[in-house]
Amino acid sequence: MATLRVEHLNKTFPAIERGSDATTAIDDLSFEIGGHVFVSVVGPSGCGKSTLLNIVSGIETATHGSVSVSEDGSPARLGYVFQEPRLLPWRTVMQNMLYVLEGEDVPDRARDYLRMVGLDDAGGKFPAQLSGGMQQRVGIARAFAVEPDLLLMDEPFSHLDAITARSLREQLQGIWTEAKKTVLFVTHDIAEAVQLSNRVLILAPGGRLFADLPIELPYPRKASDTEVAMAQAELLRRFEEMQEETDAARATDVAS
Amino acid sequence: MSSVPVARASRGGRPPSLVTRRRVRGIAGLVIGVGGFLLVWTLLSALIFGPFTLPPPSRIGSVMWEIVRSGQFIHHFVPTILRLAYGFGLALLIGFPVGYLMGTSRWWRAFFHDMTIVAGSIPGITYAVLALVVFGIKILGPILSVGLVSMPYVAINVAEGLDSVDHRLVQMSDAYGRRRASIVRNVLIPSVAPFAFAGVRLSFALAWKVEQLTEVFGSSSGVGFQIRHEFEDFSIPGMLAWVLLFVIFMILVERFVLAKLERYLFRWRLEDRP
Ligand SMILES: Nc1ncnc2c1ncn2[C@@H]1O[C@H](COP(=O)(O)OP(=O)(O)OP(=O)(O)O)[C@@H](O)[C@H]1O
Ligand SMILES: [Mg+2]
Repeated sequence: MATLRVEHLNKTFPAIERGSDATTAIDDLSFEIGGHVFVSVVGPSGCGKSTLLNIVSGIETATHGSVSVSEDGSPARLGYVFQEPRLLPWRTVMQNMLYVLEGEDVPDRARDYLRMVGLDDAGGKFPAQLSGGMQQRVGIARAFAVEPDLLLMDEPFSHLDAITARSLREQLQGIWTEAKKTVLFVTHDIAEAVQLSNRVLILAPGGRLFADLPIELPYPRKASDTEVAMAQAELLRRFEEMQEETDAARATDVAS
Repeated sequence: MSSVPVARASRGGRPPSLVTRRRVRGIAGLVIGVGGFLLVWTLLSALIFGPFTLPPPSRIGSVMWEIVRSGQFIHHFVPTILRLAYGFGLALLIGFPVGYLMGTSRWWRAFFHDMTIVAGSIPGITYAVLALVVFGIKILGPILSVGLVSMPYVAINVAEGLDSVDHRLVQMSDAYGRRRASIVRNVLIPSVAPFAFAGVRLSFALAWKVEQLTEVFGSSSGVGFQIRHEFEDFSIPGMLAWVLLFVIFMILVERFVLAKLERYLFRWRLEDRP
């Protein structure tokens, strides 16, 4: 488990062409998460969700503000499930796992986590021989296998079919409850956010934090539970509120 | 490494009929191609040029057999192949670092860009003559001409390969805290390899022609030297026999060494298009 502290974060991508505007992907974002929590970030496409994870993971640098991840004062280990599988096509599934692992009994660990996502037999295959969903599951196994303090997940189920996604969501709850990880989970699926997380951050277009809502329901949760459905409705209402607000802001922008 | 059994296992998983059918089709194509070529040759020899200007395939065949049997073949092939190999080694030795610089730094790209274009578009014969004039008849001439001709292809393709590296895989490696050396080995080199290999195959086809040319102009051994020697003796069958032997040898190298190596190295890519 780790503590993630985001303070007054801003990320602006400079304009590539002359005459076009710079893009503000994240605007003055502050929040803190820590301990055994599952935090979802929801927001419409292009509101800076992937950018946030990239900054947290160190792939990208912040324009202003700061991000710190710590595990009892020492640097935390990160796992990252990307929006796409991002496997090395020239390495087998097993070699892909071993690429990111260090330490003792590494092959055993790799095998354990491949079994967890139901791919025990796929170790010798190349990514091109797997379906898109299977590749994504390898990406998930890889992130868990490093046994991270902070696990970043960027819409990990959005490319999967509904049946696989549902079973992986249930598995994810089980693993998270057991393995006690801090998870930062990005999605644009409100139902998914409600089912999995105990806290939801809603981002508005332009990367502003619109709402920070707790979801206090016991695990494991099913998508069909009444309480889950009610929490979903509540979240959806806040989401619509946010959209109305941004639409209104845009209208006044156009008018002026 | 566990990769060899992996490749076998997956090949075994494919329906065998498809593989067999492809192989049969390949062999049929080869037979028809070679057969047609020999037929046209025979007809041209008999009907248009006459057997003295253009000897029929059978005559060339027996001369070729004589060359192989007498040991002449080995005697002249070994130096030719060695020069080719050294020249090629030289091209790789220079081409890889130059390509790396071009692929990683805008400044070096600008610096080498025009040079490689110019070097690549100069006709092979110029290199042959130049190498001979500067380095003389000794062994260095052919080696250098091969090296000069191949180097730009290797460099450009390596640079191109570095351009094509999937940035997202490098990001993934960074996110998982991989070291630079590990990223080079696991991401950069495998990304560049198909391009470098294409460059090598392309320049190989060019290199051996230039090497022959250099040997024709000035050398005291090698296949090219033999071709000139036969020419000076007005022996058309001898000349054609040497040319043909060399062509067959090169086709075999292309088909069975380079193509096989490529199939093996890039099996991860071939898997998804049987
Ligand atoms: N490398 C980049 N250069 C320029 N602009 C970028 C870059 N990466 C992202 N952006 C811009 O930043 C904004 C946020 O992008 P981001 O990928 O974080 O969105 P997202 O919330 O993950 O969207 P989605 O749900 O579609 O994945 C977008 O407007 C995008 O155009
Ligand atoms: Mg995204």
